[in-house]
Amino acid sequence: MQTSPVRTADGSASGRQDGSFVTDARDRTGLRDTLSILGVWLLLIIATTVVRPDFLSTQTLLAVTFTMSISGILAVAQALVVISGGLLDLSLPVSLTLSAWATVTALNNDLPTWAAIFIGILSGAAWGALNGLIVVFGKLNPIIVTLAMGFGGLAVLLLLFLSAQIPSDSDLRRFGLGRFLGLPNVFWPMVIVIVVAGLALSFTRWGRRLKAVGGNPQAARTRGISLPKTRFFVFVGAGAVAGLAGLCFAAVNPSFTPASGADFQLNVIAAVILAGISLSGGKGNLLLLLLSVGFLSTIPTSIAFFGLAPGWSLVLQGALLILAVGIDGYRLKRSAR
Amino acid sequence: MTQLTGLGRSFTRGIAGLAAVGLLLTGCSSGSPAASAPASGAAAKFTVGFAVGGQPNADWQKLQGDVAASLAAARGWGYVQLSNDNSEATATTNADIFIQKKVNIVMTFNGQPAANPVMAKKYKDAGIPVVTFDIAQPGWYFVGVDNASAGTAGGTKLGELAKSKWNCKVDMVISAEGTSSGQINTWRTGNARDAVKTVCPDIPAAAYVSYEADGNLTTSLKNAPGVFAAHPNAKNILVVGINDQAVVGALQAATQLGRDGSIMGWGQDGGLITGKNVDPNLVGSVMYFLESYPADAFKIADQLAAGNAPAVKDTGDNAAVQIKPCPVTKDQAAAIPSIEARVTQLGAAPAGTTAYSLFCKA
Repeated sequence: MQTSPVRTADGSASGRQDGSFVTDARDRTGLRDTLSILGVWLLLIIATTVVRPDFLSTQTLLAVTFTMSISGILAVAQALVVISGGLLDLSLPVSLTLSAWATVTALNNDLPTWAAIFIGILSGAAWGALNGLIVVFGKLNPIIVTLAMGFGGLAVLLLLFLSAQIPSDSDLRRFGLGRFLGLPNVFWPMVIVIVVAGLALSFTRWGRRLKAVGGNPQAARTRGISLPKTRFFVFVGAGAVAGLAGLCFAAVNPSFTPASGADFQLNVIAAVILAGISLSGGKGNLLLLLLSVGFLSTIPTSIAFFGLAPGWSLVLQGALLILAVGIDGYRLKRSAR
Repeated sequence: MTQLTGLGRSFTRGIAGLAAVGLLLTGCSSGSPAASAPASGAAAKFTVGFAVGGQPNADWQKLQGDVAASLAAARGWGYVQLSNDNSEATATTNADIFIQKKVNIVMTFNGQPAANPVMAKKYKDAGIPVVTFDIAQPGWYFVGVDNASAGTAGGTKLGELAKSKWNCKVDMVISAEGTSSGQINTWRTGNARDAVKTVCPDIPAAAYVSYEADGNLTTSLKNAPGVFAAHPNAKNILVVGINDQAVVGALQAATQLGRDGSIMGWGQDGGLITGKNVDPNLVGSVMYFLESYPADAFKIADQLAAGNAPAVKDTGDNAAVQIKPCPVTKDQAAAIPSIEARVTQLGAAPAGTTAYSLFCKA
C-alpha cells in the first residue's frame, strides 16, 4: 500500500510516524542531485580536457575559483531567501554595489579597515532590512518588491556616485590581490560562508525554523514560529551576506559603477536553482550550491579553452537554468501526486 | 576615491565651467563674423536644442551640456537642454519636445542609437538639422573622434613599446572587445591589433585572442581569467581594448592569475589613465577630450544661423568635424589637467584653440 505523504512543519514529506521515510527520501534526492551536478561538471571537465589536455592546470583552478568567489557568496544570500519561502531577491546586485561603495567611501575617508568592513556589511544588512520590511510587513510579493527595489536602488546609487575606486594601498585591496593556500584570497570567504550557513541550516534551531517557514508556513505557525519575524531576519541576514560579497567585490575591482553588480544576477539565480533549491521554499543543500557554483564558474573558462565566443557561456547558463526550473517543476508535481 | 554627485560639486563645477566657457566663447564669438549674425535682425531668436547622453559614469556628458549652454548664452541664442537618460524612449520623446519648441538646430549624444532612424525621420519632416556626437546617422552632421585613427594610434604606441622592451617577442595580444558598439569597436580594437601587427609583423596570427568585455571592468574581469588560463605559456602579453575599463579588467585578471609579470595594456578614452589608482600595467591610453565637442558643433550652428548651411557630412570617414585622438603614456596623462580644469583653461585660451592643441603633448 502506498503511503500518502504528509507535510511536516519543516516542509518535508513524511509517510511514517518515526519519520524514517523523510530521511530516506531526502537522502535519496540529495544524493541524486549531488551526483547529477557532479556528473555534468565532470563531463564538462573531461570534454574540455579531451580537446585541450592543458585544461587541468593551476591556471584553470585559479580562474575557476576566482570566478566562484563573489557569485558563491551572493548565491548563499539568494539561497537563504529562497529556502525561507521568500521566492527570490532580485535586488541583490544593489546590495552588492551599495556595500562595496560604502566600504570604499569609508576607506577613502581614512577609516580603519575593520570599520570599513563593518560599514560594508551593515549597509548590505540595512538594504536587506528595507526589503524585509516592505515584503513581510507590507505582505507584498517578494519578486515584485525586490524587482522594484532593484530598479529604485540603482537609481539611488546613481544619485550617490558615478564611479568609485578603492585606495590601491588599502589592506582590503591588498587582500583582494593576494592568495592563501595557492588560491585567491576572495575564494576563502565564500567557502567559509557556505560551510557556516550550510551547517547552521542543517544543525541549528534557526536553520530548522527557516526551512519550516519556507516549507510549510501553516505548520510552522502552529508550532509557535513567528513567520514575519523569521522572514524579516532572513532578508537582513541575506543582505549582510550580500554585504560581504560587496567587500570582496570592492577588493578585486579597482573601479566600479552603480550598475556593476547587475552582471551577477543570472549566474546567481542559475546556481541556486541548479542546486535543487526549490523556488517553493523549505528545501536546500548548500553543499550542492557549492557544486553548482563551481560548475557554472567552470563554463566561461571551458568556453575560452574551446576558443568559442564568451556569449556561449550565457547561452549555456540560460539553457541550464530553464532545464533546472523544469526539473524543479516536475519534482513538485510528482510529490503532489 | 569616490566621485560624488552632490550638489556642492555640481554647483562648483557648474560655476567654474560656465564662467570659463563663457570667457572662451566670448573670445570665439568676437572673432567670428558668423557669430554676430543671429543677433542682428533675426525675427525669431535662434535656438539650440541640446540633448546630453545621460549615461552613468560619464562626467563629460554633463560638461558637454554646460559648455553648450555657455556657448549659446555667449551668442545671445535660445537654449533648450534635455537628457536622453541613456534611453531610446527618452531620446525619441526629446525629439518631439525639440520639434514642439521649434528649435533651429539639435545637438545630441545618444548612447542608444537604435532610436536614431525614427528621430531622423521626425527631424527631417520638421526641417531641423541635427549634429550628432560620435555615433553617425545618415543626414546628421557628424562630430566625433576619428575612432579608426584612435585604434591605430593606440596600437602603434603599444607595438612600439613591445618592440623597444621585448624586441617584438610577444606571446599573446589580447583584445578586450565591446561588440555591441559595432563599427566603433572594430575601429578601436581591430585597428589597434592591425597596428601592433604592423610594428611587430612576426607575431603569429594565433597569438591574437579576442574576448567580450562589454566595455566595462566587471565583465572584463569576469571573462578574462579563462583567456589567460587557456594560454598558459604566454609570457609577454599585450592588451588592447574598446576602452580603459575593458583593458584594466584584463590586466586585473592577469594579476589574479599571477600573469602580470610581463604585460602591457593600452586603453582608449583615457577613463582610467589619470588619478591616484592607475593600474601599474596600463601603460597608456588614447584621450578624446569629449567635453570640448560642443565648441566644434557650434561652428556648424554659427554657419546655419548665418544662413550658410554647410554640406552635411555624416560619417566617421567624412565627418563635419573630426576630433583628433591623443595617445598618451601614463606619465604624459598625469600632466594633463582634470576635465574641469581643461574646461577652465580652454575658456582662457585664444579663440580657435582646440583641446588637442592645448593638452595633447604626446
